[in-house]
Amino acid sequence: MQYLLIIYSDEAFSNQATLQEISAAHMRLGAELQESGAMVGGNRLRPSASATTVRTVGGAQSLHDGPYAETREQLAGYYLIEAADLDAAVAWARKIPGGPNYAVEVRPIWPIGGM
Amino acid sequence: MSRAEAILGETVRNAGDRIRAALAIRFRDFDMAEEAFAFASLRAVETWSRDGPPRDPAAWLYAVGRRRAFDLGRRAKVRNDAVHDPPEPAPDPETVLVAAFEPIPDERLRLIFVCCHPALAPEARIALTLRTLCGLSVERIARAWLTSEVAMVQRLTRAKRKIREARIRFEIPEPDAWPDRLEAVLATLEIAYAQAYEDAALASDAADLAGEALRLSGLLADLLPLEPEVLGLAAMIRLTESRRPARLDGAGAMIPLSEQDVRLWDRDMIGEAVALMRRAAAVGRSGPYQLMAAIHATHAARLETGVTAWSDIAKLYDMLLSVRPSAVAAVNRAVALGEAEGPEAGLAALAAVGDQDRLTGWLPYHAARAGLCAMAGRGGEAAQALKTALALRPAPAERLFLERRLAALTH
Repeated sequence: MQYLLIIYSDEAFSNQATLQEISAAHMRLGAELQESGAMVGGNRLRPSASATTVRTVGGAQSLHDGPYAETREQLAGYYLIEAADLDAAVAWARKIPGGPNYAVEVRPIWPIGGM
Repeated sequence: MSRAEAILGETVRNAGDRIRAALAIRFRDFDMAEEAFAFASLRAVETWSRDGPPRDPAAWLYAVGRRRAFDLGRRAKVRNDAVHDPPEPAPDPETVLVAAFEPIPDERLRLIFVCCHPALAPEARIALTLRTLCGLSVERIARAWLTSEVAMVQRLTRAKRKIREARIRFEIPEPDAWPDRLEAVLATLEIAYAQAYEDAALASDAADLAGEALRLSGLLADLLPLEPEVLGLAAMIRLTESRRPARLDGAGAMIPLSEQDVRLWDRDMIGEAVALMRRAAAVGRSGPYQLMAAIHATHAARLETGVTAWSDIAKLYDMLLSVRPSAVAAVNRAVALGEAEGPEAGLAALAAVGDQDRLTGWLPYHAARAGLCAMAGRGGEAAQALKTALALRPAPAERLFLERRLAALTH
């Protein structure tokens, strides 16, 4: 079963040394995921200031400059992994590095054709 | 009640949770297990009334429930990865009577871990555990949590859907996940018991819930005899429960622990708890539940010694606060210190409890402060604290107790 591990982190965090460490830790985690065969995909996202949201309300579409939700912690990246069950997915989620404050949401992928 | 119904009732009481757990684990589906179990129970009354009860009624219920679940699964065309081979056409429930029975596997531990998965909301874990392991009705669980039956059904449905869709595994957790998972199980039982205990002050209606929590903690101690914290929790619940007969006076007012009549305490239950604590200590790995049990056991020792070793209790609270800080423990520590070293020491400790802003809206804090102020001869402050506590909507038994204290101060 596939799970999307969605990383929400504090964009205001700007300690360069720590950010470099985090980046290196992501490289190591990526390698570990590859090696174990769990990696399906994953990416880091540009800051939410670069986001554009297409919103549809009552059938009418409009564009917004910015992310879907203006919160302190913003969607920063994701991993798409293959895991046997929730515990295994959570074990990977715990390994995802970050600054002092961040969250990783673990979401099962709805299989195509599944119910 | 017919003889068949009586035998069914006894079988469900003795083996119902085992049968339900075995069905749920085997089919990885709570709803199907529930329906299959209900079907088997209905069939039992019909068949046993007609043909007489089987040799092993529990095995009969399991076999018929299993057969029903297979049928339901086939009918729903559910591909179930729990069932590898297509089942052979099972015999009719009636012929199951004479067939050799498969022993009922004990899957209760696996089921506890599924129901108490930390990815489920705490209140959903409790409800799911009471529903699937204890077989309590949704209506009964809803009543305990002061919510409607509809809301409780929704909560259970959401939890079951999450188990299915997020794929929470129906297995004993792996070693690396074990500490977290076990902690979630213990916390679930602790909260379930605390809820029943608090309710008990309101009405004797909650005694059955407390009984279920007591039973589950004992079951867990049997299933995991080498986990000292499991033994500690089972001991803690027994020690608390041993005092139930002494908790209320004739008028329904709460009697605080230090004023309870020790002759009303349940000696057997205290003995059971002490035995559990010895076994836990032999493992040699302390933890918060063992410390909480030790605090209760120190109170229980008044039964033998006639006095309460308050300074020991204060020290145990210090240890508890170092491994599991909480406002409850900090306030109780202040009370113990007040008893051991005098009210001023207690008040100083109470003033040092962190997060005073949040404490102002918290009843136990004001009740503790009232007790310590009264002890220190500061009647005015004690009365003020009692009035504040009473304004925070205590349960009826505690309200009576606090009102009496206030009357004693002002007269």
